[in-house]
Amino acid sequence: MIIPITIAALVAGGVYLMLQRGMVRVIFGLTLFGNAANLAILSAGVTTWRGEPLPDRVDPALAADPLPHAFVLTAIVISFSVTVFMLALAAIGHNDDTKRMPRTGEVRDK
Amino acid sequence: MIDPIWLPLLMGGPLLLASVLVVVRHVLLERVLLLAVPLISLTVGIILVLEHRTVPVIAHHVGGYIPGIAIPFVSDTLSALMIVVTSVATLACIVFLTVTGEDRYRFVPPLILVMLGGVNGAFLTGDLFNFFVMVEVMVLPSYALIAVTGTWRRLGIGRTFVVVNLMTSGILVMGVGLVYATAGSVNIAALVGAAAESPMVAVAAGLVLLAMAIKAAVVPIHGWLPATYPATSGGIMALFSALHTKVALYGIYRVYSTLFEGSAPWALVLTLLVAVTIVIGAYSTFGEHIIRRALAWQMVAGVGHILIGVVLFTEAALAAGLFYMFHHIITMGALILMAGAIEQTYGSGRYERLSGLMHRDGWLAIWYAFALLSLVGLPPSAGFFGKLGLITSSAASGSWEGWLMLTLVLVGAVASLVAMQRLWVGVFWGPPMESYRPDSPETGRGRSTALPDDVRVSRSLMLPGVTLVCVQLLMFLGAGVLMPLVRRAAQGLVDTAPYVQAVLG
Repeated sequence: MIIPITIAALVAGGVYLMLQRGMVRVIFGLTLFGNAANLAILSAGVTTWRGEPLPDRVDPALAADPLPHAFVLTAIVISFSVTVFMLALAAIGHNDDTKRMPRTGEVRDK
Repeated sequence: MIDPIWLPLLMGGPLLLASVLVVVRHVLLERVLLLAVPLISLTVGIILVLEHRTVPVIAHHVGGYIPGIAIPFVSDTLSALMIVVTSVATLACIVFLTVTGEDRYRFVPPLILVMLGGVNGAFLTGDLFNFFVMVEVMVLPSYALIAVTGTWRRLGIGRTFVVVNLMTSGILVMGVGLVYATAGSVNIAALVGAAAESPMVAVAAGLVLLAMAIKAAVVPIHGWLPATYPATSGGIMALFSALHTKVALYGIYRVYSTLFEGSAPWALVLTLLVAVTIVIGAYSTFGEHIIRRALAWQMVAGVGHILIGVVLFTEAALAAGLFYMFHHIITMGALILMAGAIEQTYGSGRYERLSGLMHRDGWLAIWYAFALLSLVGLPPSAGFFGKLGLITSSAASGSWEGWLMLTLVLVGAVASLVAMQRLWVGVFWGPPMESYRPDSPETGRGRSTALPDDVRVSRSLMLPGVTLVCVQLLMFLGAGVLMPLVRRAAQGLVDTAPYVQAVLG
């Protein structure tokens, strides 16, 4: 039960932060959301303690499911790299986070 | 005859070459590889399409593991056709980027190659998680492409683009995880019919479809597309429009036809969303005064048209939807590239700033007219057969969904026609222009200055767009050759037995 509650809390917090104006908060929100997704995938395997998934050492019936682990590793790498890139986007460019409407191209500019 | 063992190379090859280009910086090498990779993809795609006349599906299991455990790479008529069409559009975009000099920005050539690898991989993968990875491989370079080719203003746009896409990727990966939790596999062939049988898998797969619908810009989550795409340069927007939303649409076609086998409990929601997408996309075009922004709204409308095939899910409707997608990739590429050429030359894409281009650039106007006819669906154009196929298959399905779609295609076509007339009047008619803002690679867009008589859209800038218009006209003339191929692709979606047979053995 603890994992679903954690996922729910992470998603709720992530969505709340994503609705803020500041880019840094949006990034934190996305990080929380990504972690929620990772936990959701992890829980797709069995979450109780299992043996390492090495066929010649552990009986396959007792071994953990390696696939969700591989999924999560891939997902972590992707979300990590994009987080770094977004932090760079937050640091350079205009300070349009809190003071002005972000320039989405909707305002007519000269 | 292609040994299936080479299929992963269509994904891995561009990625390897991209890593070479990061290290080795040489103009000639970069340009040769940028042209060679889509050309090779195109050739392999054509060979695959021809091969699928006799062998409907070929599959390769990476590493030679047991089928069902191994990561499969699968090619059928649909994926091969997608590779062919996207490669043609990509080639035109790359030539355009070379002419405008945008391929000289740091990292742009390797980024484009990474994107192509991701696109090919997404079309060829037979594994849901691998599809997610390939979509990421395709989207990650585009974040950087927006930032690298952009001015400061475009960085703000990049934020929107990144946030929307990352959020969607989170939903997608969560959906894939839930599919694995409920169905115990992410191999598409092993999942055939799983969502149709179990409501739990249906919810999980529904999450996957939701994510792809966002990436395809289906109303109500379409606002990011017209907000972000026009803010990038013309060449990059054409590249994105040919690849990004279309990969998502391919994913919807594939997942809906295998996991749901064409019937979902929430099909009504899908029907309504597609209906609204067509209307909103077509009518929102009225509100725009910039060529590429108007085209972005037409892209939203096009997404609705393409998804009609999924809504009706008859073989004829699927074939019509796929043909419309192929036409849309080519026609939209032509329109955006030519709009980019106009912007590059005259420094603006606004209707108010441009006028009288018909007298100035007569040939460009003629080609643009052909492309606009195709977008609206009037002959002689591929769009004519696209809309005709959608209308006849909607009428043949006989359901209320069919009649709704038929009505909306006609209503949307009228709205697009009027909106495109506004574009035509604003840009190509009217008195001769007096001032323009010449672009320069060093200083960016210049001040408004008097327009000399001899300024024209150069032939090399026009060439990529005009080529795509010609491809589109060839699709009109050669529809008799093309239609059986598209039909075969649609058959592969309706009857998934050969797909399962090839992947699981």
